[in-house]
Amino acid sequence: MARRPVRVPGGPQAFKYKTYTQTHPKPEFFVQRLCSNNRILLTLTLFLQVSATILAQTNQPVARKEGEPKILQLMVQLASEEEEEVIQAIKNLALTGDLRLENFFDLYRQGSVYLWEDAPEGILKIVVNEETVENDDFDELAPLVHPLTKKPVMIDGKQARPLIEDLTDISPGRKVRKIANSSKFLIRLASPNPKDRISGVKKTGDPPQNIDAIPSLQRIIKEDPDEKIQWTAKESLLLIRLAGVLPEQTAKDREAAIQELGNIKSLRALPRLQILLDTLNEAKEKPEGADAWTAAAKQSIKQIDKHETSVERFNNIFQGLSLGSVLILMALGLAITFGLMGVINMAHGELMMIGAYTAFEIQRAFGHNPDNPVDSYFFVAIPVSFAVAAMVGLIMEALVIRHLYRRPLESLLATWGIGLILIQLVRIRYGDNIGVNAPTWSLGGNEILQDVILPNGRLFIMLLCAACVGLVYFLMNKTPLGLRMRATMQNRDMASSLGVNTRNVDRCTFALGSGLAGVAGCAWTLIGGVTPDMGQNNFIVDSFLVVVTGGVGELAGVICSGLGIGLITKWVEPLRIGGFVVGAIWAKVILLAIIVGFIQFKPAGLFAPKGRLSDV
Amino acid sequence: MILESVRRMARQHSVSAMLVFGLVLIPVLYWIGAISIETVNMLGRYMCFAIVAVGLDLIWGYTGILSLCQAFFFSLGGYSMGMYLAHHGGAGGATDPTGRWEVPACLHVVSSKVGVEPLPWFWKPFYDLHWAVLLGLLIPGIVAALIGFVGFRSRVRGVYFAILTQAITVAAWLVFSMNNMKFCGTNGLTNFDKILGHPLSENYVKLALYLATVVSLGSTYFLCHYIVRSRLGRVLIAVRDDENTLRFSGYKPYMYKMFAFTVAAMLAGLGGILYAPQMGIFTPANMEASASILVVIWVAVGGRGSLSGAVLGALAINLLYNFLTSEHNFYLLQWKPDYWPIILGLLFIGVVLIFPNGLIHLWHRLNGQTSKDGNQS
Repeated sequence: MARRPVRVPGGPQAFKYKTYTQTHPKPEFFVQRLCSNNRILLTLTLFLQVSATILAQTNQPVARKEGEPKILQLMVQLASEEEEEVIQAIKNLALTGDLRLENFFDLYRQGSVYLWEDAPEGILKIVVNEETVENDDFDELAPLVHPLTKKPVMIDGKQARPLIEDLTDISPGRKVRKIANSSKFLIRLASPNPKDRISGVKKTGDPPQNIDAIPSLQRIIKEDPDEKIQWTAKESLLLIRLAGVLPEQTAKDREAAIQELGNIKSLRALPRLQILLDTLNEAKEKPEGADAWTAAAKQSIKQIDKHETSVERFNNIFQGLSLGSVLILMALGLAITFGLMGVINMAHGELMMIGAYTAFEIQRAFGHNPDNPVDSYFFVAIPVSFAVAAMVGLIMEALVIRHLYRRPLESLLATWGIGLILIQLVRIRYGDNIGVNAPTWSLGGNEILQDVILPNGRLFIMLLCAACVGLVYFLMNKTPLGLRMRATMQNRDMASSLGVNTRNVDRCTFALGSGLAGVAGCAWTLIGGVTPDMGQNNFIVDSFLVVVTGGVGELAGVICSGLGIGLITKWVEPLRIGGFVVGAIWAKVILLAIIVGFIQFKPAGLFAPKGRLSDV
Repeated sequence: MILESVRRMARQHSVSAMLVFGLVLIPVLYWIGAISIETVNMLGRYMCFAIVAVGLDLIWGYTGILSLCQAFFFSLGGYSMGMYLAHHGGAGGATDPTGRWEVPACLHVVSSKVGVEPLPWFWKPFYDLHWAVLLGLLIPGIVAALIGFVGFRSRVRGVYFAILTQAITVAAWLVFSMNNMKFCGTNGLTNFDKILGHPLSENYVKLALYLATVVSLGSTYFLCHYIVRSRLGRVLIAVRDDENTLRFSGYKPYMYKMFAFTVAAMLAGLGGILYAPQMGIFTPANMEASASILVVIWVAVGGRGSLSGAVLGALAINLLYNFLTSEHNFYLLQWKPDYWPIILGLLFIGVVLIFPNGLIHLWHRLNGQTSKDGNQS
């Protein structure tokens, strides 16, 4: 009888999957286990996963290992007898764009770089030694380090320490030293990483301008794949021309540079043009073409100023919208627990804090940190934060709040007490300060117009806010559960007599409000710090103001007042009143005054409930 | 017979008894050396809190308006007195360019510019003790009247008023914490030295301040007692129990609410005035949002709607706080000050759920006596 293959439970395929989850936990796996039979959560996570895949594409891995042998080979040429060859080697090294060379060039100029001709097989020829040591026989030994990684050079498990006489000093002469120094910034220009490249390009335009960079800049203008870098290179080139440091530069050329800077609306040129104007005004002997420069500079400053104002206006509106969406996210849960249920949940801020700490724990579980980013953790953290905060909410409801549905003022006291306990428990467990590292995709920004940069983290919060509002609207208005919730809140006795289990509805409603607070707290980790008392300090008053201004019981009220408060705050903050900048604190005071004034006319908020509900 | 009358008095005028206790017994205990001057000073500070609590009881317990800005009014009083004391503070102050005003040391440190800046105009009235005390009472009163006017006239009620006042407190706290507001920033007013030429560090000054506090507490109590027993007090209780009916009967509830709110604010200011010299420092931390809620919990634990309850609650919780924020060794439990906020939190929950009428009603029930105070049904 032929032996039939035995099916091992969890065969090769399962094994493969298991290893996969060990190295890179798949978010779906956890999430589906966590909320297997909860449709709301599932919808939320599905949405978030879609946005995750979109956002994950912006995340670029940093890889630079492969160029190393080539760099080391080039370094050997530094030991050449011919000065021309050495110079060529320096230029070639700079063109590799490895940022670690910046440090190496400094060491090279100081004369800490040596050639080790008798190096054993497989060990570097070019080595770095900064300080020598003496052994017992008074021989001078040189502990060696790697020129790029700065790690000790190891031979047989020990740091290599040849006699200093065995090393050939290759410290450069005066001319080469100068070239090494000026080539240092060229490294960044050649870097494969766009971030380093753009910072290098920016640096070339800043004083003291380096004319050696011009060929590289021109190459970047022509060849660089990134349009923003091309543009910045152009700007830097113009700034170099503006500085008038070029040999044999005509006055006409400088004037053209001034005009061109105005035309491309370069914000970086603004202070430089101002300085130019001042020096021209003060100069006793006007250089050739000074009048033309003054006229051109004035024209350009006008253009750039106009651009700057519009950029500021854009930024204010965006920051206002962003603050508004944060406020809405914070107040959304409160709009349910306070607006619908009439519970003054002073522990709302603490529920947010719990959401933030959940995000911290999930981050730890995924091993996410800036050096080793595991960005997917955040998309697990959001639903888990919801679940944890909702659980805490359920416990609160069962133990305390269900006794207080008809006593709103006393629910204020009791929930403040709960908040105190939660803060202190968290403080005892975690101490005063923890760091949540935002996922890498949230750190960058998109430049939608020239100089208008929208940070990804803020954009994501707006998106999340919209999603949460949409979900709550859907849940409240289109599902049977929402119908029961609204019925219970409008007339508890009637709903009860029609067969609604009002106790269950209370539980669900409160858990939903609490869970939304958890999501808000989780999102907050993208933009703010996390401390145990963050709820009392940052959130609770603001969220209540949003709900009170909006009027209880209406989702639209929360959205309008949240956005309104956000926009007004960011509009007021940068205002100047006779040399006095309003600033964040006075903006808050002014906003409060506006709200108090507003309540004079609309005592029950923007969207006042009508009829019986109004008499709280 | 004497014993009987003392017992009757203790039952009916528990605060009178406490007053006798505070005015006579504590100084006697101090003189015979049973308690230290630090204890007397501590009791004095807690009685300042009791004054604030009586004020809150008037507005919350009797008029039914939960105010979460009592700590703000307390701080306004405290800052007035603190500014007077800082003016006459220790060494380190410099004379300002006009040569007339001395710049308080704490302000001098805050200003980063080289050279002495002129004294801000709003510091000048507080150079004199009479003005400082008067303004310490008037400023909270005026601020409260303003808040009351805009709040009550537009019928902001209940929870909304509570949140509004809390927001005002937070805003004020932010403003007072700013360094360029010339209120000495988050460090607060420090370097207090003399009051009317008497050094604050002397024992006799501390005792005198303590006695002044007890007398103020007693006067406060009898003032509020008089208010709640008068016709005016009946209207206040009516505001609490059914404002709409009152309005239909031709009264203007907002006037009465404004009155009660203003009186409560001035009492809080009085508490602050007495607190600053006894504490020796006054910082913006005194007006954090949590400080205001703490006042509410004193009244709630003591028994809202009972003036003696408010006094009792303030003293009891603060003494408990004093006891539990030091290390103790209970039989199995190593007590740490870290646990105090948890106890406080449990107290908040417990008082609401288990005995909503507070300690004083428990006491009355034990004595087999129905409450005569304006007990909320």
